[in-house]
Amino acid sequence: MLNGLNNNVVIVKNLVKRYGLRIAVAGISFIISRGEIFGLIGPNGAGKTTTLRMIATLIKPDSGGIFIKNINALKDPVKARKYIGYLPEEAEVYPRLTGYEHLLFYAKLRKPDHVDETVEFGIRLSGLGKRVYDRAGDYSKGMKRRLLLAIALMTKPVLAILDEPTSGLDVYASVRVRKMIREYVRETGSSVILSSHNMLEVEYLCDRIAFISRGKIVSIGHPKEILEKYSASNLEEAFVKAVEEAGYRYEGT
Amino acid sequence: MKGHNFKVLLWKELLDLSRDYKTLATSLLLPLIFFPLLGFLSLALVTQQPVNIAIVDMDREELHSELLNLTFSSRDLVNKLINGLKGYGFNVYEASNSSVVYNSSIDLVIIIPKGFTFNLLSLNSTAHVEIYRRANVQASARAEAIARAIINGYSNAVSKEKVEAIIKITGLNASSTAILYPISTKLQLVTFGGREVGMEEELKGLFARVLVLALSVVITPATSFIIDGIIGERERKTIEMILSLPLPVSLIIYSKLVAATMLGLLTAIADALGFVAYIVLTTMALGGNISLPIDPILLLLHSVVAFFTILVTISIALPFITRTRGIRSASNIASGIAIIGTIVFFTGFIVDYSRLPTTIKSILYIIPYTHSILSIQYYVVGYTFQALMHLLVLVILSIVLLVFSTKILNTEKMLLAPPT
Repeated sequence: MLNGLNNNVVIVKNLVKRYGLRIAVAGISFIISRGEIFGLIGPNGAGKTTTLRMIATLIKPDSGGIFIKNINALKDPVKARKYIGYLPEEAEVYPRLTGYEHLLFYAKLRKPDHVDETVEFGIRLSGLGKRVYDRAGDYSKGMKRRLLLAIALMTKPVLAILDEPTSGLDVYASVRVRKMIREYVRETGSSVILSSHNMLEVEYLCDRIAFISRGKIVSIGHPKEILEKYSASNLEEAFVKAVEEAGYRYEGT
Repeated sequence: MKGHNFKVLLWKELLDLSRDYKTLATSLLLPLIFFPLLGFLSLALVTQQPVNIAIVDMDREELHSELLNLTFSSRDLVNKLINGLKGYGFNVYEASNSSVVYNSSIDLVIIIPKGFTFNLLSLNSTAHVEIYRRANVQASARAEAIARAIINGYSNAVSKEKVEAIIKITGLNASSTAILYPISTKLQLVTFGGREVGMEEELKGLFARVLVLALSVVITPATSFIIDGIIGERERKTIEMILSLPLPVSLIIYSKLVAATMLGLLTAIADALGFVAYIVLTTMALGGNISLPIDPILLLLHSVVAFFTILVTISIALPFITRTRGIRSASNIASGIAIIGTIVFFTGFIVDYSRLPTTIKSILYIIPYTHSILSIQYYVVGYTFQALMHLLVLVILSIVLLVFSTKILNTEKMLLAPPT
C-alpha cells in the first residue's frame, strides 16, 4: 500500500498521551501516503480525537514522534502546521462574521500570496453560493460544517485532518460532505486522515482504515482486507471481532 | 510576515467586536452616559423629593428697643424661612404648637421659642431657634442646611444692625464690618513651584482624580473581553481552528490582548468624556459659568496610562483565566481583579499618592496600578519627569508581564479545560 518513503506524508511513531492517570493514547503508529484517505475508527473515548489533535500539533504527546513531510512536528509545530488543514469535531463559526469573511481571514493567514484564488476555491468547495455573504450565525448546521470544511481544505494542504467531518449532520448534508471530500482528494492529490464511528462513511471514503480501541490500534489495512481478515460481512462486525481478538471486551461508551 | 499575520488576526477581532453591539453598548455607551445620567437623575430626583417643613412661631412678638432704636419681630425670621425654603421647592407649613414634631409626615420642624425676639433685641443674651430633623431622611438634611443658612444670614443682618446702632449711640469712629469681622482671610492657590493659579487648577486636580477613578471602570470590560476571547472561544468551539494555524500562540494572544486593550481604552475615553459632559451640563443647569480646564496632554496621558493599565491587568489575569474551566470561574477571577483595581483607584481618587511617605510608596510600588495613579497625579502637580518615569515603569511592567504570561501558555492549555 505504501509507495516508498518519499511518498509518505505522515509518519506517526508510538504516540502516547496521558491525562493524569488516564491513558488516552497508548502507543499508536501508522504511516499515511500522498493522496491517501486514512480513517481512524473507534467508539467515543477510544483516542481518535486526541490522536488527531496530536498530529495537528495542538496537543503534545508524552512520548513518540510525528513527522509531516519529514518535518518533526513536535520540534517545529508552527512549520508542520503549514502543511495541515484541520477540521475539529466540534468546530463552530463566528456568528457575527460572514462565510466570506471566514474564508478571507483564514486565506490571508495561510496563503497570503494567493488570497483571491484561495477564497474562490473555498467558496466553490463550500457550495454556499450567494449565502457565503450572509452572517455565518444564520447558517444551518450543514452549511456551517461545509464552510468549516472548506476552510480546512481551500489551501490544498498536504494533509487534511478531519475529525468526524459529518458529525451531527443529517443524511443529505452528510452525503454532500463526503462527496466534497472525495472530489477534493481526486482534484488535489492531498492526503486525508479522518475519524469516524460511521462505518458506512469510512467504507465509502477511506483507502485504509485503523480500528482504534482504548488508545491502541487493534487492526489496520484496506477495508476489504480487514473484512476478509475477520471473515466479516461489514466493518461493524469486523470491528467487534478485532477488538475481542485484541483481548478487549467492548463495553460501549 | 509576523506583522501581516498580527494585522489579519487583529482585523478579525475588531470586525467581530464592531458587530457585537451589546459589548459596545456596555463598554462605550454606559461609561459615556454614566456621569451625566448620575448627575441629572440625582438633581432631578432630589428636587422631586417632597420634604415637609413645619415652622412653629411660639414667640409671636414684635419688640422695640428705645436704646438701639430697633424693632425686631419673630415674624421677620418666619417669613424669611418660608420664602427661602419654598424657593428651594420644599413644602413649608406654619404650625401652632410643637406637637408637630410627632407628626411623621413632617421631616423638619423649626421652632422659634418664647422669648426669641426679646433675646434678639438684647445686648447680653442670645436668641435660640430649635430645629428637629427626621433622622435617616436624606433630603431633610439638605433642607436643614438651607434653613441654617437662612437663619445665619438673618443673624448676621441683626448683629450688623445692632452694632451700627451702638456705634451711632456712642459716636465712635468705627465700622460695623471691622467689629463683626476683625479677621479676614485671603486664599491664593499656588502650584508646588509657587506659581499663583486660579480655581481652575483645583478643578484640574478634581478632573485628574476622576480620571484616576475612571481607570477602575476600564478594567472590567477589558478582562471580560479577554475572557470571552479565550474561554468563550473555547466554549463556543471556535478556538481550535485558530490554534491550528501556522502561527505562534503568542501572536494569537497578542491580537486578542490588543483588541481588548483598545476596547478598554475607548471605555476610558468615553468615561472621561462622560465626566466632562457631566460637569458642563451641571454647570449649565445651575446657570453657572465655570470653564472646565481640559488639558489635552492630561487626556492623552490618561489614554496612554489606561492602555497600559489594561495591558498589565490582562497580563496578570491571563495565566489564571486560561486555567479556568469555564466562563463562570474566569468571571470570578475578573471580578477579583476588578475589586482590587477599584480599591486601588478609589484610594487614588481620595489620596494624593505623590504626597505619601517614601516608605509607604515603596511598598505600593509593587502594585502596578500605583504607577498608573502616580503618573497622572505627578503630571497634575507639575512634576512631568516623575510622571513620565512612572509611566515608563508601567510600560515596562506591562511588557514583562505580557511576555511572561504568553511564554507559559501553549495551544494545549488554550484548548483544553483543566481537569476537575
